[in-house]
Amino acid sequence: MARKSALTPALIVIVGFLTISPVVMLVAGSFSEGFGAFHGFTTAKYVEAYTDPELSAILLDTSIFTLGSAAVATLLALFLAYVNTRTDIPFKFFFGIISIIPMMIPHILFSVSWVLLLNPSNGILNRYLMGLFGLKEALFNIYSLPGMILVEGLLDLPIAYLIIAPAMSAFDVSLEESSRACGASAMRTLTRVTLPVLRPAILASAILVIVKSLASFAVPSVIGTPGRIYVLATHIYRIIATGFSPDYGKAAAVGMSALVASILLVYLYRYLTSESDRYVTISSRGFKPALIDLKGAKYPLLGVIGLLSFVLIVLPVLVLLYTSMLPYIMVPDAKALSLMSWKNWGEVLRDPISLLALKNSLMLGLVGATLGVILSIFVSYAIVKVRTAASGILESLSFLSFSFPGIVIGVGFMWFFVRTPLYATIWALLIGYIAAYLPYGIRPLSSAFVQIHSHLEESSRVCGAGPFTTLRRIVIPLLIPGIVSGWILMASMFLRELTLSVVLSRPGTEVLAVQILRFAEDGLWGRLSALGIIMIFISSALVAAASLLGKALTKW
Amino acid sequence: MKKLALLLLSVVLVPCALASDPTLAKKEGKANFYANITAVEPIMDAFSAANGVKGVYVRISTTKYLATVMTEFEAGKLEADLLQGPLPILQALKEKGVLAAYRSPSAAGYPSWARQDDTIVQFGIEYVALIYNKNLVKSGDVPTAYKDLANPKWRDKIVMPDPSSHATTISWLVGLKEAGIFANDKEWRDFLKGLAANKPMFVNSFSPTPAPVESGEKLIAISMPKYIITHPQAPLDWARTGVLLGTPRGVAIAAKAPHPNAARLFMDYWLSRDAMKLLADKVGEYVLAPGVFPPIDGIDKVKVVPIRELSDKEIGSWGKEFHKIFFAR
Repeated sequence: MARKSALTPALIVIVGFLTISPVVMLVAGSFSEGFGAFHGFTTAKYVEAYTDPELSAILLDTSIFTLGSAAVATLLALFLAYVNTRTDIPFKFFFGIISIIPMMIPHILFSVSWVLLLNPSNGILNRYLMGLFGLKEALFNIYSLPGMILVEGLLDLPIAYLIIAPAMSAFDVSLEESSRACGASAMRTLTRVTLPVLRPAILASAILVIVKSLASFAVPSVIGTPGRIYVLATHIYRIIATGFSPDYGKAAAVGMSALVASILLVYLYRYLTSESDRYVTISSRGFKPALIDLKGAKYPLLGVIGLLSFVLIVLPVLVLLYTSMLPYIMVPDAKALSLMSWKNWGEVLRDPISLLALKNSLMLGLVGATLGVILSIFVSYAIVKVRTAASGILESLSFLSFSFPGIVIGVGFMWFFVRTPLYATIWALLIGYIAAYLPYGIRPLSSAFVQIHSHLEESSRVCGAGPFTTLRRIVIPLLIPGIVSGWILMASMFLRELTLSVVLSRPGTEVLAVQILRFAEDGLWGRLSALGIIMIFISSALVAAASLLGKALTKW
Repeated sequence: MKKLALLLLSVVLVPCALASDPTLAKKEGKANFYANITAVEPIMDAFSAANGVKGVYVRISTTKYLATVMTEFEAGKLEADLLQGPLPILQALKEKGVLAAYRSPSAAGYPSWARQDDTIVQFGIEYVALIYNKNLVKSGDVPTAYKDLANPKWRDKIVMPDPSSHATTISWLVGLKEAGIFANDKEWRDFLKGLAANKPMFVNSFSPTPAPVESGEKLIAISMPKYIITHPQAPLDWARTGVLLGTPRGVAIAAKAPHPNAARLFMDYWLSRDAMKLLADKVGEYVLAPGVFPPIDGIDKVKVVPIRELSDKEIGSWGKEFHKIFFAR
């Protein structure tokens, strides 16, 4: 018991050290008169930031953007996860991979792909639809709030999918069967049994996407700015960009609102899922999820999912492949076809910095995700199973760095690491990644923990096993889907991480995303797309390997 | 009096006395070059090959430049031997004691205004021009004056950095007024209103401006002619609108350079005609080394003028003013 009660405070110290340090630096900076973190005290930055007449409109657009993205990502994930885990639809593995592909694509590239498809002037899809229906004006304008929501929602779909799918696969089908046996229709069973039992996973997914989109910069920058739609992240960018001596303290002051919103969301989530026993679905070893026979609906549904996957995910990736073979961005025509070549690929594969970045990112992805998941298992256990007031603090701490808008948190980490011997080393990146993206490990694992009944652990304890033995022998084997999800989320994120890397990376510690940003800044979209596709291949290989390993371990 | 004389003497002599020593520089092994200028790898390679000292290029974006350098400097961990950036940033660093005085002999032929400071040498101008898609804009339609951009025929066809936040664009718009490009203030304001009425598409900086023009999404951009060099196959050309304006680019040595001899050797190389020619030829930069021009048709005949250095306060206040004009509903 003493070991169990010591677990949460010990984790608070570890997670707190990882996530509080940069945030403390930013809080100090937001109250600092001068340029850095520690000069004279002032509240002027807050007064200036929160009396800006534009702020209310920006906060309204931010709310619509984040809530909309969460709705798109969560609903799509629910649909895809249900079909993939609960039905006998063919090509499941393929659709599983498709659902998580967007997280492997650098967000800036995915956004640019959608601009090429749906910009109102000469978007490829718009032109096609105009030709098809004889229209004089473009049907869609990507530079709009719905456009931003669509792209951000798709980019965050993997987060939602990787949280909801494990919960869905752990769902005890006997609950639904009982509902049906009592005369409830399929819809009533869905709304009264299935969705309520999945509430922790759905809420976890929605909250994570809200927090993630709050900090997102690529979509608001590439799609929002041209449409003159500014959200918190781009508002902060404007504060930093106006002038040559950017005031990161003022930017941090604005960022505090995102931090407060995230902490409130975490507490809301804990309140809404406080009676955790209601969501337990695995209470004995006899549990086995059953599949629903789709019968005649199988192939029409396959067609719908296939079309959705193609338009929403495969098409933007094909646009990247097309761009990677061009000397500059062109709409498809005879001239573009005549200029296509593998030159950009050759340039990237011969570039020593790109190759070094590939090696560094791969190391950070593999080692970082493994360490991150190990820490996440302990943290999730403390949050869900120990569940004291301290667990709430632990859960909020895990969100601290994650919920800060990216362009600011990078500077917070720099202010912190520069005071340590780790500055400008690859280890600073490794620690920074784990600290900033801990929720990617914790959320899927917490959702998985919620569904494991304490009877299983109690039985183990009655037989004389300690908490760590119980965790290792009983709980972890049941957590495999959650562990795999968490590892995939973290590894894919670390492979394409930009926010911290752009500040902390130095010659010798270059990573893929920084190289991609350099290509973007130089307008080398062909090389950028080629490197982006290489990233997708590497991430896909890691995801496939993790999924196969997860399956093998589950059977074992 | 004696002390004052000594001080004056040291101020005059010290920058000259610390000339670069190639032997010591070789022993130091490398020179760390913190820069916001892009695509300078060919110059780093040429420096390394010519001197046996490795030139290490640490690329830092303008928005993070001051934060990064000052954070490292205050923590005693500034690795930079040389710092390159927009002039206002280098001036701020000089005020905070980050930079050292050094007069490079390679700057001798530069314009006097570019080398009047004992610490910062201005070696180029981040020049701005109207860049258009030469396949889609007929020759008769190409602007011949800045005010042409206010013509309603360009409505929904322009891309430019956000004039309410992008510091260089704010400085450039103010520069148009101060350089006498327009006859009077009213004419300048009419141009701004006309440009705003054409609903230009805003992006964060100059970097994303060429892509929409190349793809035909937009026809013309307020951008930089250097993209004509760095995107050689793209159908880009620049509009001959008379005088071009831009913010000066500067370079200086760090006061606590970890490799001081290598730093001076690099500075001498960077300002040399050979390096500046590489910068002009490979990167399309407008440089101040006499007689060196980027290989862009007509650039050697146009007058390129540095914009007055605006304080951050001025940039902020003009940004608000432009916000009212360009974001009016």
